[in-house]
Amino acid sequence: MARAAEILRLDRRIAGRLLQLNWGFVFLVSLPVAVGCAMLYSAAGGSFDPWASRQLVRFGIGGVLMLIIALVDIRFWMRAAYPIYGIAFVLLLAVELIGDIAMGAQRWIDVGIVQLQPSELMKVALVLALARYFHGLDIEEVRRPTRVILPIVMIVLPAGLVLKQPDLGTAALLTLGGVVMLYLAGIRLWMLGLGAALLLGAMPVAWQFLHDYQKRRVFTFLNPEDDPLGAGYHILQSKIALGSGGLSGKGFMQGSQSYLNFLPEKQTDFIFTMLAEEFGLVGSVGLLLLYVFIIGGGLIIALRSRHQFGRLLALGIATTFFFYVFINVAMVTGLVPVVGVPLPLISYGGSAMLTLMAGFGLILNVHIFRDLQIGRRPENAAG
Amino acid sequence: MTDLATENWKDSLMVEPPLGVESNQPLSESRAKRPIEIARTRLLVAGTIFALCFAVLGVRIVDLAVNDEAEIARSTTGREAGTLGLARADVVDRNGMLLATNLPTVSLYVDQTKVIDPEDAADKLHAVLPEYSRDTLIKRIAGDARYVWIKRSLTPEQEYQINRLGLPGFSFEREERRVYPQGPLFAHVLGYTGIDNRGLSGVERGLDRSLAASDRKTPVMLSLDLRVQHILAEELSRAIVDFKGVGGAGVVLDVDSGEIIAMVSLPSFDPNGKKQQDDPNQFNRVTKGVYELGSTFKAFTLAMALDYGVVDLDDGYDASMPIRIARFTINDDHPENRWLSVPEIFMHSSNIGAAKMALDVGATRQRAFLKKIGLLDSIKLEMPEVGQPQSPTAKEWRDISTMTIAFGHGVAVTPLHLASGIATLVNGGFLREPTLLKRPAGVPAPGTRVLKAETSEIMRRLLRLVVTDGTGKKASAPGYLVGGKTGTAEKSSATGYRKKSLISTFVGAFPMNRPRYVVLAMIDEPKGNEATHGFATAGWTAAPLVSRVVTRTAPLLGVGPLDEDAAPVRHEMMVNELSSGAKLASF
Repeated sequence: MARAAEILRLDRRIAGRLLQLNWGFVFLVSLPVAVGCAMLYSAAGGSFDPWASRQLVRFGIGGVLMLIIALVDIRFWMRAAYPIYGIAFVLLLAVELIGDIAMGAQRWIDVGIVQLQPSELMKVALVLALARYFHGLDIEEVRRPTRVILPIVMIVLPAGLVLKQPDLGTAALLTLGGVVMLYLAGIRLWMLGLGAALLLGAMPVAWQFLHDYQKRRVFTFLNPEDDPLGAGYHILQSKIALGSGGLSGKGFMQGSQSYLNFLPEKQTDFIFTMLAEEFGLVGSVGLLLLYVFIIGGGLIIALRSRHQFGRLLALGIATTFFFYVFINVAMVTGLVPVVGVPLPLISYGGSAMLTLMAGFGLILNVHIFRDLQIGRRPENAAG
Repeated sequence: MTDLATENWKDSLMVEPPLGVESNQPLSESRAKRPIEIARTRLLVAGTIFALCFAVLGVRIVDLAVNDEAEIARSTTGREAGTLGLARADVVDRNGMLLATNLPTVSLYVDQTKVIDPEDAADKLHAVLPEYSRDTLIKRIAGDARYVWIKRSLTPEQEYQINRLGLPGFSFEREERRVYPQGPLFAHVLGYTGIDNRGLSGVERGLDRSLAASDRKTPVMLSLDLRVQHILAEELSRAIVDFKGVGGAGVVLDVDSGEIIAMVSLPSFDPNGKKQQDDPNQFNRVTKGVYELGSTFKAFTLAMALDYGVVDLDDGYDASMPIRIARFTINDDHPENRWLSVPEIFMHSSNIGAAKMALDVGATRQRAFLKKIGLLDSIKLEMPEVGQPQSPTAKEWRDISTMTIAFGHGVAVTPLHLASGIATLVNGGFLREPTLLKRPAGVPAPGTRVLKAETSEIMRRLLRLVVTDGTGKKASAPGYLVGGKTGTAEKSSATGYRKKSLISTFVGAFPMNRPRYVVLAMIDEPKGNEATHGFATAGWTAAPLVSRVVTRTAPLLGVGPLDEDAAPVRHEMMVNELSSGAKLASF
């Protein structure tokens, strides 16, 4: 009997949380996915196969993951923050050691059915860990320089590992997201300044240790004009697509890229070009607005949270999402050099989709438990 | 929103029990204020920066979509200002899609002394450059030479991947070259340039002067449409595979402007790859190859007889017996063995009827007519590869020539000639020189009237009749009112005509109530297959190809489907003069 009552109580609790779920946000998130599937359908020349159907399945799996993450008690996530970070870090190390066998990019760990990309997991884990860390400090402590050392290490270590893979895009996402979180958590500005200065100062030293090809890659990154072929080729394609799309585009499935294979990877990183061609200025600016709404929604949820953990968690995820969008679109439009960052929720790809959905799950989780009072340590939770 | 939020925030900060000694005391108002303000300002700053970033993206997108020249100039032209004399304008299709451009490319070389593990490097490179075997690569990588080429002109993808391999000792050399982003798709039309970036063939040669002109910011815009070209090439190559042909040719021509919308010669070659001078694939079957195109010529025979007033639609000829003249016998391929009306001669493609009709017109007038519609002279085109039609001289043009030419043997023209001639037959009777340059919209293209408007009107109906009831039924593309003529010719050789080597052609136009485009498809030496019951004739091979091309390209060309069975449309296409009481007569 007691057990039955317990289950009943659990059911009621889950039902209550489902009711509290921010369905508006869920809807907002599913809009770009719908756009993405339409583009993948078009990219395959008017077929659900091979991309759109699989993307939908992934969104389904991601959606379930998102709901589960959203419904679990937020104190669990707080307790789990460091362990998750630890696991992600160990996996990153493992990729560095084991992944060496695989050719080219050392990013994947093959765990049977799915290929796990620890750098993706790390994106969420870092945000969790930083939120957990700053939740445990009051504002006076945050402003103490010694308290900033640990979070900086937490950012730099995984970013360094990812950079070594080499995956400039993800490394940039981790670093930028982490630094913005430090800033939002309230650390002193001069510390940020000092950090930047130290980083710049360390560069000439680190430079000595780089291989020729690594130096060249950094040059390419800093000076895209130096790499006219890569940047030139892509800007040309973007130019063609955006220019020919005009104001309202050529219409769904009417873009030349659906018929032909200009871009070998039209379904992944450069899908924005296709969208721009088929839906024109209206479509591309419309999509950007959609992203603005999602990020804005994340920020509002962050503001409503009564605890620092939730606030920083939602801010961190929204920030990471922002950088995803910004880097991808800036790359496609030739503002920054080509680094492999997908267009979130739209580009074809499983790993990024799962990361994003997990992230949104956490934002929704913050929304459900926004009024909870959590102590400095999860054990002290009062609610 | 912000107020409400900060309110909550303040609450939470006040209620939260901080660590340590103060754990039981709420923070005082004044102590809480500072952190709140910091947090609030910081979030505001971050939010503003985010918004600004999005604004930058928005501006950038608008800039790219609206502002043309600046970006192209910056991305391709500006950088090459230093490479004197190599400047060359881009070539784009009628919609501005890039067909030829200059790109700085990179080539991969290796300093062998710096390679740590040649075998490992070869393995990794082989994955990126599978065209080189592992052994070849090892040979190039291992040794003491300081500078060995691995591969010239890498694709950006390859460069990216090789860069990513991070192999010590390998470096890239920047080079400049003409690049054709569409690869083999436009190879024959565009041609290519030599090492000095001057045109050697195709449009590159034909328009060399304007392409090499100093002002290279304005691309040269061709009349071609990339999408239509792609579809035509795809369908043509599929047909060549299906029927095991040795090659093929295809043209889509705007009947009112003379603009060539698509032009495909197969097999093609890779203009970005290594070019061999005597590569037979470089032969342009559309503009350079001259062929006896067989029964398609009957369209000209009928138009000629009608235009001279030699026959009316209700006239006819006895086609029950083969014609024997000198040592030749003229037979029908689709024998009806009876008296045939003029439309029936066309519909059943009767050689006997066409030959008798041409005899009534006479050799002199026939020759004058074919010359008038441009079939006896080479076409002036924006490329050097134009074929000179082969025909008998005035003296050689005897009655037997008249009769065979009536059904397309004895005169050899290029497929482009045929397409242009059919355009003249259906566009109201105007001869317009085909062109590869886009004409300004709205300005009528110059043309000479060579045919009565009534003749053109009747020819539309007759060409449509071939598709509804004659040899070209498989060219029908429902909704687009296709009309046209089949032609299956035996290839000639030194020893005479070869029964087994055919040239199967279908030339059609659509929509026949107001023709906009001519579509021509020619398959060189097709062989019948199971699906065609062994037939390799045009009606089985080229006609269905044209049907598919029309169905796929009409929407792109702005031709909407219409109801072919609607009374007004049927009325426009009506042909009454059929002796056998065929379907249309009963309308």
